[in-house]
Amino acid sequence: MNISKKIITLPIISFSFLLLAKDVDKGNTIPNLKIRMLDGSSATIHELVEDGPLMIDFWATWCVPCKKVMKFLDQYHQEFEDEGFKVLMINTDTPRSIGKVKSYVRSQDYKFIVGMDPNKMISKKLNGMVMPTLILVDKGGEIKWRHQGYIPGEEVEIKNQIEMLINIIKGNTVEG
Amino acid sequence: MKVKVVIFFICTTLVAANELDYNAAINTNYGNNYDFYNFSENIFDLNFFYNDLHGWIQYEYSNPPDIGFPTNDIRKFRMEYASGDFNLKLGDIYEIWGRGMMLNQFDDQITNFDNGTRGMLVEYMNGPLMLTHINGNSNMYSNQYSDRVPDFNNIHNMNANRLQYDWNSLLLGLTQLRSNEDHQLTLGPNVSVNHNLKGFYTSWSGANADFFSEYVDKVSTVYTGTGTPNDTLKKGFGVYHNINLYLGNWGLSSEYKRYAFDAAHGDITVNEYGNQIEYQQMPTLGKEQNATLLGRVTHNYNFNDERGVQFELNGSLLGLAVTAQYSHLSRDEEWRSVTNFDWEEKPISNYLPSSNESALPYWENYQEISGYILDDKLYFKLGRGNNKEITKAPKYFEGQQMDKFIDSFWSYDTTDTVLFGTEYQIIDSMEVFDTSYSDPYDVMSKWWQETKSFTIPVELNYIFENGYTIGVGFQYQEKSIMDRKMGNSEGYSAADSSWEMYNPDDYTEYFNTTTTKLFSREGDPVDTQFNRLLYISISKAPRWSFTITQDWTSAFDAGAPVDPYYNPLEALVYGDLKYFTGERDKIAPPSWTENRWVSAEFAYNITSSQRVSIFYGSIQGGLFCSNGVCRLIPPFNDGLKITYSASF
Repeated sequence: MNISKKIITLPIISFSFLLLAKDVDKGNTIPNLKIRMLDGSSATIHELVEDGPLMIDFWATWCVPCKKVMKFLDQYHQEFEDEGFKVLMINTDTPRSIGKVKSYVRSQDYKFIVGMDPNKMISKKLNGMVMPTLILVDKGGEIKWRHQGYIPGEEVEIKNQIEMLINIIKGNTVEG
Repeated sequence: MKVKVVIFFICTTLVAANELDYNAAINTNYGNNYDFYNFSENIFDLNFFYNDLHGWIQYEYSNPPDIGFPTNDIRKFRMEYASGDFNLKLGDIYEIWGRGMMLNQFDDQITNFDNGTRGMLVEYMNGPLMLTHINGNSNMYSNQYSDRVPDFNNIHNMNANRLQYDWNSLLLGLTQLRSNEDHQLTLGPNVSVNHNLKGFYTSWSGANADFFSEYVDKVSTVYTGTGTPNDTLKKGFGVYHNINLYLGNWGLSSEYKRYAFDAAHGDITVNEYGNQIEYQQMPTLGKEQNATLLGRVTHNYNFNDERGVQFELNGSLLGLAVTAQYSHLSRDEEWRSVTNFDWEEKPISNYLPSSNESALPYWENYQEISGYILDDKLYFKLGRGNNKEITKAPKYFEGQQMDKFIDSFWSYDTTDTVLFGTEYQIIDSMEVFDTSYSDPYDVMSKWWQETKSFTIPVELNYIFENGYTIGVGFQYQEKSIMDRKMGNSEGYSAADSSWEMYNPDDYTEYFNTTTTKLFSREGDPVDTQFNRLLYISISKAPRWSFTITQDWTSAFDAGAPVDPYYNPLEALVYGDLKYFTGERDKIAPPSWTENRWVSAEFAYNITSSQRVSIFYGSIQGGLFCSNGVCRLIPPFNDGLKITYSASF
């Protein structure tokens, strides 16, 4: 390895440790990205978190684990609707299969919100290239929880995280 | 390089100083096996956001990567500024316009396909109107002869413009793209090519129906430095339609495509300058499969010369997801052998794909039912797919010919001469030819290669109350590759300038032969290849999962792969105690391990956003396709792979 390679590799490793050491409780504010929805309308992420927490998930029609977890996410979307909670499923199908997305979503009668990201601009900006990637955002737009992949049974943990966040928000509201 | 290092330091310092919001991801892949197939890939992505500004840097340290060139550099970067009506991007641009018939840019590291542009994007929005301009360079690599290191390179200097009008449910787009390309030919020196593409797209979305339509026209010319000669002009076009209908919980998706950028006879896409350019990554009209065995029999789509239809029905039955798909594709023209080597093009008279073997047709259909039952404790997926494809047509003639008969006789001149009198006759002779033809008769000489497959993928997962899950997956496949020959002529005789008849005494005698192209490990021909893939997994949510996979085949269409090493995992799976007592030769695997690939993978979630997986064993090589781009993956024998991914 020559000197220049060492120079560039060193900050990468240092920065990786810096990230690992970061106070995860603080969280980052999610960027206010504009998303085109399946029905042709558009919304920004900050608009979607105005009423309550938001769970973002990245999926594609050919992704089996994504389809496995979708059923539970739709259940939670409906179960916690009164708390202002929403699920935003961002679809990353390419032009190869994008024509079948609406057909699949309608066939399952899913109620969650579906966003479209065919060139993966949003998934790259939110680091959702691994599918499924779940990002739980609170009412203020702060990222509270991230999760990659889906192992059957993880829906319990997903629900716990949503409930915890809703309870925190409720607690803050009562205290306030 | 220095500029990139400075950019990197500034960004990391700003981010570390908590001045900005940011997120980051690390993906690390390491692999090493008994065949010296090794790779080490480390990719780090950093996004940062400050008001209307967004920055992205991707740093890669790979030496060597699984596929591609060794890299230790900032691989990608982009700065974006979005404010009010303007959007500005500088750096690596990835855009999709319409359904990608003119522009569909992506970076697929699995197939090493990257058609992004390093340059600038400017976008202006005013109500429903949007104007976009892209300008920059693309350096595109591909693998033609090598499995891992790219050996083809096309360089594009491009500019593209789009005018889009988005009015409620109606969308209209006008597009234009120009590119000057330094194009690498399969044979010969590089050529400078100018591509000029114009297109439009439109879509409409209603409550129970929607449609999308796109058209692209392309003109390419080779620049010679002395003007633009018309003999280098290549013209082509592409059209795509998609209509979806919805009724209750059912949706029917129908698609039509006709891509005619450069027609040529043959089963492979010629690397010609008139071909579709890399920016054009269009809908394929084939099912995007997620079962391993179905992925191995995927059609190699031809973006230059292919038409087809696809229908897919999605619905819900008793709370389960039901899918049924059908597609039929073919080349845009049928072909006729004029001689053994010359071909004559015959346009297809209608708009639909052809079933004629010379047009290399492809059919596939797939049905699947999946969902949760037993109070959401059992997930199952049951599929059934089959396909048929004509992959080659080395000879295809059907027509008439006449036999030519030549009769000759001698004509004699016996005129007496004055000099010698009647005693000596001078006899002058001349051969006279009389040509006649037989009645025309039917001639057929056809030869094509046909592949067929039938696959059943099954998957079951049972979730227990305590968080444990047991999963079983099984895929079964029957596949055949046949040479089909039929007709009453075996070939064209260049010497006689006619088709030689199979039985010269009886032209009505036809032959119809089928020869398999598959062989057993011992070299014996076999009609059907049986493939089976079995995987068993156990997992504990949300922490870990462990999977053992066995892949098995019975025949080969190329040389049978050799397993160089008998590993402990194979011995464990096959219950071979002798291996563990030292009585087995590890570099001479026993016969029962032949034609089988065994692997085990353990994945562990360190935290909810950090995951590590360890793989050990062997993987059968073969065709791998993603986004319409396919590559042959070499086998991975007796090796270790470690993957780490994290996002923060």
